[in-house]
Amino acid sequence: MCKNCLLVVALLLVISSVFWPNPSAIEAADGVHGDPQARCKNCHSCEKPTHENPCLLKCERPKEVSGIPDSATHGPDVIFLDQLVGLYEPVYFPHKLHADMEKMGEGCAVCHHHNPPGRILACRECHGGPSNPANLGQPGLKGAYHRQCLGCHREWSHKTDCNVCHAKRSEIAGKIAAGTAIANASPGMQDTNFDIMGSLHPNIETPKKYVYKTPEVPDGPIVTFHHKEHTDLFGLKCVDCHRKESCARCHDPQSHPPHVRNDPHQDCEKCHDVADNCALCHVQEETKGFNHETRTGFPLKTFHQQLACAQCHKEGRPFKKLDPACQNCHGEGWIPKDFDHARAGVKLDETHQQADCKDCHTEGLGKPSTCSGCHDDGKAFPGSVPGTVVQPR
Amino acid sequence: MKLNRRGFFQVMAAGTATALASQPAQASDQAQASNPNSIGMLVDTTECIGCRKCEFACDMANNLTGQPVKAFEDMKVYDRERRMSENAFTVVNRYANPEDSNRPIYVKSQCMHCLKPGCTSACLVGALRVGDNGAVVYDAWKCLGCRYCMVACPFQVPMYEYDDPLTPRVRKCEFCHTRLEEGKLPACAEMCPPMALTFGSREELLKLAHKKIESNPDRYIDHVYGEKEVGGTSWLYLASREFEKTGFLKLGEGAVPSLTEPIQHAIFKLGLPPLALYGLLGAMMWTYRNGDEYIDPGESEETDPSA
Repeated sequence: MCKNCLLVVALLLVISSVFWPNPSAIEAADGVHGDPQARCKNCHSCEKPTHENPCLLKCERPKEVSGIPDSATHGPDVIFLDQLVGLYEPVYFPHKLHADMEKMGEGCAVCHHHNPPGRILACRECHGGPSNPANLGQPGLKGAYHRQCLGCHREWSHKTDCNVCHAKRSEIAGKIAAGTAIANASPGMQDTNFDIMGSLHPNIETPKKYVYKTPEVPDGPIVTFHHKEHTDLFGLKCVDCHRKESCARCHDPQSHPPHVRNDPHQDCEKCHDVADNCALCHVQEETKGFNHETRTGFPLKTFHQQLACAQCHKEGRPFKKLDPACQNCHGEGWIPKDFDHARAGVKLDETHQQADCKDCHTEGLGKPSTCSGCHDDGKAFPGSVPGTVVQPR
Repeated sequence: MKLNRRGFFQVMAAGTATALASQPAQASDQAQASNPNSIGMLVDTTECIGCRKCEFACDMANNLTGQPVKAFEDMKVYDRERRMSENAFTVVNRYANPEDSNRPIYVKSQCMHCLKPGCTSACLVGALRVGDNGAVVYDAWKCLGCRYCMVACPFQVPMYEYDDPLTPRVRKCEFCHTRLEEGKLPACAEMCPPMALTFGSREELLKLAHKKIESNPDRYIDHVYGEKEVGGTSWLYLASREFEKTGFLKLGEGAVPSLTEPIQHAIFKLGLPPLALYGLLGAMMWTYRNGDEYIDPGESEETDPSA
């Protein structure tokens, strides 16, 4: 091969190596993750990240990725923060309590920020040591703990005394040993009413109903929202509607004005068809609360009245019309063992109490009864009563 | 020979040359301001919870009063504004927050460690000096107790041990320079629970401060106190409210010694101006001695009988 040819090949090699696009340039050109500034090494620790193994850097990255599930089921109930014990007692941190509360807030990622998918990292894995001179913006472990806790506690309780969290270990240990509920052992949470509406939040007294105006239309129709009905009767949990709420919205209303929902329809449309159904909610006058009889024609009496909607409407929300026949829910031949017939309006006399239900209710329970099965003399209900008529209950 | 027109210009030229010679000195001061080794502390007043642990840490590190931590848990001290003393190199004060009365603003004060301090400039004997890292440190052995530093400080930081009749010292925060030499953080920064105090290189801290402001424009006002005040200070502050309303002084950007030092340095530059002045005076005396002599009438009377 001639000398010139070699030179040309070498030149081509040099040119190609210079102009060959490097991987990050490809990403940038393609706008990977929607960020033209994205560079692989900013977020990934390995050469070839895949969906299965994204090998995300575990600490702070320019782009936040949280692989934390919004559920505390696998999290620890309690964490003792005792890595930095010095002047004060270690902190007994009721993790489950906070995780449950955070369901109404921004979710687990509020604390577990920068956690790549996979294992859940402990605070100290990123915030190690007293401080990081290479990254001054990242507080050390002590700063991270305190800022994380104080961020909310300062806002809603205005308490920054050290002893609020650094309670005496002996006091807490005693409570745990005595078998007190986990969250109850936490200082300041003794009066909490638990298991309320899907959250460990103490019971909140809310007004029975809210009346909203339609802002787009002056003097327009109003919307009556029966809040208590939705929680107590329909069984909605706080977290079903209240998401991304700041604790301070209620606990420090002075500095946190009421949250304005960008799209108020969002919460309603989970159950109601709001698209072409304005008049369902937007009406000229305040609406009355839900009445099963006027809405569906099926009155809820005695036993049925005590039931939650979903106990009959098992398919869940949105609730659909059911066949009102008893056997539809109760099954063929259903009868409670200790059925008191007086509830139906007729107190059976001793003779008739001995009879089987089907002897009279030949067409089925709840249907008109016949006497001809036993009586040949043409007796018929309601002309003849197998006992005494009483007020149905 | 009289001091003629030519002579006058010669003297003036010498003076101007000396004044010009002092210019490089100013330039070197500015170079010091951007010293890459310069350390700093960024105080984020929005993170401060007023726990007074910095006061406790400072007290311990400097062997001041030796009180237990309980003594620093008394929050009644916030009822009145406090100042630093010879037994407290740092104090935290509380200021009202108009946006949220439940969340007052706490501000820690201590020596600001100016890049071009008034105190070191005023010190006659070099007892106060700026270290290589920018910390303003004190040498009690050199100090003669003139307290000029107390007058010169724009923040009125240095305090004096008036109670000590024999070996009174000027007292102020020295940036825990002995701890820094041991590789530790300043005591207050190490103790601060929410890490409202960030220690690091001043350059990096300024970058961090501006990044914080940029990413949280609602949280901070767009001003880093100490970045430019009195020519820059090592301690930098971030705040949610105007600094003037939370106990900070409104100060210009010029360093305190920027006016006095050029004049003084010009006069004493290499000892030449005094030599020139005395030379000039000597020359004038010499000139008058050889010229029209003034004859004292009394003296002439005394010498008259011999004539």
